[in-house]
Amino acid sequence: MRTTVPRFVLKAVGYALALFVIFGPLSSLVIWSFAEKWYWPHLFPQEYGLFYWKKVLGGSMIRSLILSFEIGVIVTILALVLTVPLSYLLARYNIPAKAIILVVFLLPQAFPQLPVFTNTMVLMYKYDLVGTVPGVVLIHLVGALVFSVWTLVSVFRSIPQSLEEAAINMGASRVRVFFTITLPLAAPGIAAASLLVFLYSLDEFTGSLLIGAPFVITMPIYMYNSAMGYEMQVSSITALLLMLPGLLLLFLLEKYLKSEYLASFGRG
Amino acid sequence: MTNLASRIAGTALVLPAILIVGMLFVYPFFLSLINSFKTKDGWGLQNYYTIWELYRGDVLYTIWIAVASLAVLLVFGILLGGFLRLHFNGVIEFLFKIPLFIPFVVVGHAMRVFLAPNGTLNALLSMAGLISLDNPPSLAYTSAGLIIALAWKNLSMALLLMMGAFRGVDNSYIEAAKNVGAGRLRIIFNVLVPMAKGAIAVSSVLIFTSIIGNFSIPVMMGNTSGPQVMMVDLYYQIVYQNNYGVANAIGVVAYLVSMGAAIYYLRMVTKK
Repeated sequence: MRTTVPRFVLKAVGYALALFVIFGPLSSLVIWSFAEKWYWPHLFPQEYGLFYWKKVLGGSMIRSLILSFEIGVIVTILALVLTVPLSYLLARYNIPAKAIILVVFLLPQAFPQLPVFTNTMVLMYKYDLVGTVPGVVLIHLVGALVFSVWTLVSVFRSIPQSLEEAAINMGASRVRVFFTITLPLAAPGIAAASLLVFLYSLDEFTGSLLIGAPFVITMPIYMYNSAMGYEMQVSSITALLLMLPGLLLLFLLEKYLKSEYLASFGRG
Repeated sequence: MTNLASRIAGTALVLPAILIVGMLFVYPFFLSLINSFKTKDGWGLQNYYTIWELYRGDVLYTIWIAVASLAVLLVFGILLGGFLRLHFNGVIEFLFKIPLFIPFVVVGHAMRVFLAPNGTLNALLSMAGLISLDNPPSLAYTSAGLIIALAWKNLSMALLLMMGAFRGVDNSYIEAAKNVGAGRLRIIFNVLVPMAKGAIAVSSVLIFTSIIGNFSIPVMMGNTSGPQVMMVDLYYQIVYQNNYGVANAIGVVAYLVSMGAAIYYLRMVTKK
């Protein structure tokens, strides 16, 4: 006779599996961050403690953390100022050379970053930008501008054109319509886009490694260096701190992060 | 405002962003194409011969890693995406969005620790009595470990893309299949997948390209001896050999491999 597994059991197994797949790998970081003594072949650390947390939070990691946040804020502000007008024009008007502009912003989506960025690095050497904060800001801006343009174009396209036309028919200028009608309606989308741009800059690795290291050490580079040097606790704590902003963003703003905004996010 | 003045103002507003991406991506992109033909004594195909001699195995290895990760992601994306299309579940959907928000380097490091011989996975498996820790299997620094890490990081992307593809299938088809008694798996494979074929193909191309271009996960997870993926070869050519010619030629081969996505994006632009 066939016995059927009760539904709630299947459901519980499904949830357990999903939780394991997602949090299993991340849990290793938590265990390592508290491990003070952990010798092979013990399954789990022999001694737990906050020693390494205190060491990392009082050490040079903090400088990388502050630097990464500063670079992230500058990149986000620059990306917004430079792409809000451009995205609006791309979404609404047939501006001259539109096809060329779109191709410029599509190339970075379609092709790998590393082979291009090595050539960008050679260019930046000529202008003494390698190993400087402006150099790192510029290399972050490339990805940030591209992501920001595509996200904002979809934000502006989602605003009904009829509202703008109504205001124009009543005699308002196009500039005034943009600031009083379009911009307020687009504000939530622009806010979501800017948080994602900030996160992109915070997590950016390839460009920072080529242009910044070893003089400008952002947080991902700090984490990478300590992981490659087998400083397990230091790298695990840095990794946990590094993933915190992204998780916070996801937990707090999940409903604002429409899937079309995420389509081109998380490539690198 | 006169027409001319508004044109000038418009140009001034849009030009900086275009110039930055143009100067720092489009121009170096073409430089990499040109410089791949530059050799010590002039111009020629020498760099490509070097790739044929030294790296043809690595090119195939890269494609194999990307295809294997993509296969894992397609099975996962189609099953879970299809299941969520039939039964909405906000918690599961939310859980699988998390990998998108974890930085690449963190994924690389977490997977190294998780899959190591004395890592958390082996600890759990040995507690369950499935493996013996006297002779523990290690997935870190193997191709399997690399595939697991790349697939994990792209779980969200695969799920979002598949859910988007299945959302395009009209409810009436699903209802009709249910009415004639089709189970969930049959609905997924006989209704949803055939009807979303095009969207699934496009999603596969996009996921494949993003895996080919990934550098941070393979540089942390890749095996120390044996084959490497192209991006790691390229990086080592720059850092250890200082050979930009060969590095650029590897880059061009990578562009060719990711051509599918480029064609898709170009078509999208010409359509609009």
